[in-house]
Amino acid sequence: MEGTNCEYETYLAFKELGTKPEYVHLKEIERGAKKVDDYQCIFLPGGFSAGDYVRAGAIFAARLKADVFNDLKRFVEDGGVMVGVCNGFQVLIELGFLPALNGISDEPEACLATNDSNRFECRQTLVRHEGRGCKLTSNISEGKIGLIPSAHMEGKLVFKNDEYAQEVNEKQVVFRYVDRDGNLAGYPWNPNGSYANIAGICNNEGNVMGMMPHPERAFHKWQNPGWEGNDGRDVFEGIVGYIERKW
Amino acid sequence: MIDNLFIDDGYVKRINILEASDEQLMEISRKLSLGFNLQEMQKIKNYFKNRGRMPSDLELEALAQSWSEHCCYKSSKPYLREYVYNIALDRIVAREDAGVLEFDDEHYYVVALESHNHPSAIEPYGGAATGIGGIIRDVLCMGAQPVALIDPLFFGRPDTKYEDLPKGVKHPRYLFKRVVEGIRDYGNRVGIPTVAGQVYFHDSYTGNCLVNVGCVGVVRKEKMIHSRVSEPGLIYVYAGGKTGRDGIHGVTFASEELHEESEEKSITAVQLGDPITKEPLIHACLECNELGLVEGMKDMGGGGLSCVCSEIAHAGGYGAEVYLDRVPLREEDMRPWEIWVSESQERMLLAVKEENLEKVLEVFDRWDVEAVPIGRVIKERIIRVYYKDQIVGEMELDFQVKGIEYRREWKKPEIREGGDPTFEMPDMEEALLGVLSSYNVSSRDWVITQYDHEVRGATAIKPLHGRMDMKGPSDAAVIKPLENSFRGLAITSDINPHYTSLHPYWGTASAIDEACRNLAAVGARVDSFVDCLNYGNPEKPERMGEFVEGAKALRDMASVLNVPFVSGNVSFYNESMAGSIAPTPTIMAVGIIRDVRRAATIDFKEEENPIYVIGKTAREMGGSEYYQYLGLKGGRVPRSDAEMLKKSIDKVVEAIEHGHIAACHDISNGGLAAALAEMVIAGRGAEVCLYSMGDMRTDVKLFSESNTRWVAEVKGEREEDFRRIMKDVPLYKIGEVKGDGLVIYDGDEMKKYVDMDRETLYRAWHDVLWKEMG
Repeated sequence: MEGTNCEYETYLAFKELGTKPEYVHLKEIERGAKKVDDYQCIFLPGGFSAGDYVRAGAIFAARLKADVFNDLKRFVEDGGVMVGVCNGFQVLIELGFLPALNGISDEPEACLATNDSNRFECRQTLVRHEGRGCKLTSNISEGKIGLIPSAHMEGKLVFKNDEYAQEVNEKQVVFRYVDRDGNLAGYPWNPNGSYANIAGICNNEGNVMGMMPHPERAFHKWQNPGWEGNDGRDVFEGIVGYIERKW
Repeated sequence: MIDNLFIDDGYVKRINILEASDEQLMEISRKLSLGFNLQEMQKIKNYFKNRGRMPSDLELEALAQSWSEHCCYKSSKPYLREYVYNIALDRIVAREDAGVLEFDDEHYYVVALESHNHPSAIEPYGGAATGIGGIIRDVLCMGAQPVALIDPLFFGRPDTKYEDLPKGVKHPRYLFKRVVEGIRDYGNRVGIPTVAGQVYFHDSYTGNCLVNVGCVGVVRKEKMIHSRVSEPGLIYVYAGGKTGRDGIHGVTFASEELHEESEEKSITAVQLGDPITKEPLIHACLECNELGLVEGMKDMGGGGLSCVCSEIAHAGGYGAEVYLDRVPLREEDMRPWEIWVSESQERMLLAVKEENLEKVLEVFDRWDVEAVPIGRVIKERIIRVYYKDQIVGEMELDFQVKGIEYRREWKKPEIREGGDPTFEMPDMEEALLGVLSSYNVSSRDWVITQYDHEVRGATAIKPLHGRMDMKGPSDAAVIKPLENSFRGLAITSDINPHYTSLHPYWGTASAIDEACRNLAAVGARVDSFVDCLNYGNPEKPERMGEFVEGAKALRDMASVLNVPFVSGNVSFYNESMAGSIAPTPTIMAVGIIRDVRRAATIDFKEEENPIYVIGKTAREMGGSEYYQYLGLKGGRVPRSDAEMLKKSIDKVVEAIEHGHIAACHDISNGGLAAALAEMVIAGRGAEVCLYSMGDMRTDVKLFSESNTRWVAEVKGEREEDFRRIMKDVPLYKIGEVKGDGLVIYDGDEMKKYVDMDRETLYRAWHDVLWKEMG
């Protein structure tokens, strides 16, 4: 929808891996011109949907909820893959598709709040793969550290209560921000002050994943010259690999 | 005493200038804020006298837009034509709202740079944001996908005391913060990466900050479109945001000095930006173009509908009829002239064939962007404006659009250089820390990390480079704009007002020199320049002289380099109660790099690799950071030898292309010392001895800001190859990559002048703006 960015580079990443991605405008879904069921994976890219002038992702989520909530719910419950990066992650949280500790929730159970620095932060971040139960990242070894850059104003993950937070933290964390040695560290390694340095989570079933850092910006080596690599490619390979195995 | 000259006539007022005396003419101009001088008013009077009718308010307003300095460059054009328009013409594909050059066999790249100074001085957030919006549209209207934004910004010093501020002037820290936020909130939302620019602090900008904005785009050759109509009968389609009362008189306001009451008087001249309308507008325009539905396109910027509807028709040799009552409005009770000259943002004008109209409207609808037909192209070279059934304006386009030109009087500006002062050499470690932590050398990461410089996933060299937690400043950003090619665009912008305020000519030449060597440092050959020439009041001969000297320097440098100026902007009247700004000819340079994977970066990379200084160092300390740190005046501003520059950049790029160079950084403000420190901060340590650089005092070697110089780390096994390529260029081997800090020796006895660890250098360089801005 308007304000969604990052669709170009995300499209290229999927294309590079031999899949057939398509741009789908929210309006086409709303009008029924395109159907959720025709796809194996729905990827919500980053950006500032509707400007994010209210809570980030809220309007995008509200529009999805109004028109195709049941279709999307069925899609996910049938094992369809849904991934949100940055603004897309915010949308998945607003939709109640993540963390979805006890299944898809009607109200958001977590929130991507304003960064502790109270600033938009565009900086490289290192993330450690935890992989707890995420079917989409089974290709990435546990504990692997990768460079995947971040760029957001609202990326601090907080939960509705401590108990909930702890449970998600134990079961559903996919990526955490770490320092060069792989330790959980504060700012700027953790760019937003996220709970337990969480950078990305999945749902209970492991087929829905959201993350703040942008894997499409670390897909090629030339995107990160010099000292570090192209670890974002792993994320896309994981998604595609899962889909190939499943279908 | 002029009230009786205004006569109601339907939807407009007619103004009886036919009988008006000279005094009355000037009073009319003032009353309507038209900004005309007497000569111009008389010219208008004669025009309408010959037609035997009175002009409408809409017609006078339209002329005020078209004849403003901002729109027609009446003071600068004769000089620009003489000095800068004619260089390397064969390489320029188009020079319209943006310049167009060849990128590869199948693509063009498109560049534009302009100022948004006055609005930003009054309302920094909105002014900066709409500056970005405008420059994106300039690139978009050539049919190009914008791929990068560039923002050179100039403010007074952050430590300016409140009591020293002239009345009505906002504090530089506030302006700086709000301008950056404006760029951030607009640029990030619209999804185009902000990859380069500069932030410069200098006292002369306290009363009049400068916000220059640039954009680069890419288009397939066959998809380029022009800002001109191709045939009569084409339909004008208005697309984007609604028209409101914001931005009325934006261009006339930009064509006068700022004064105490500017804010109160001119706040309506500042437009309101809306990136979330812009973002789909970009998609929709590009999609229409991709489908081959667009015959001409132009953005609604300065002067609004009036300038756009007129200029796009005039450029094609035709005229147009426009129906103002069809324009989508934000406020229903707007008068026709307000609709005609409003500069509301996020609007584009497309000229489309009648048979394609439906399809075009469909595309816009799909993107949720409003689009309506508002007029058509006609054969007569006339602009005819209707409101409902009334003709509210009708003028010959040659009269309105061609405007006027002045060859203003100028005098040679004062050269403020002086002899070098004598002083005892201070402690070099302290001096280095002082220079690194100066406002103009220190890290810009407080700014850069607020801009999304990676969206679109095509930023190969980012504005900050190095280790995760300690990055240094890249010389130029590199974008890889095409999916299937490793060819890249390198972008930089440069100007040092400390030089230009001492010597307008050599300061300007130095900006060209620095831009070229920044591009060369990443391995790119300079391909085009875009200039944004910011000066004071051109009606003052000395200010005009600064402009003319600058234009000559641009000519002298660019004609040797054979690099064209493809686009640009002149911003005069950058004066306030506090005086004029330093001459600020901002130079944006774009270079082409054959393979982004070969681009060089600044971080020292491998232990024992030799370190060279390329280029000759002279005692050129006028305006230098070192003299500023010591509070010294005098000295010579760096000179530039265009022939040597040309040769040197060729050689540096050749060495990078061959892979001989592991790291490269240009030497600019702060001199060799700052350059070495930045390379150490971003990478490994270095141990150097300056003995080979010749017989100068150590502080001159370390802090002189002579042009056409680089520091290069050469791959050990390639040293002979590197030297062979460099044989005609002054070359000094000064040391090797070693350890974690910076160690500097000099003299016969190898006296150690500097021995500092990375952390110390980094803290001094990095923390300045964070402390200042929080």
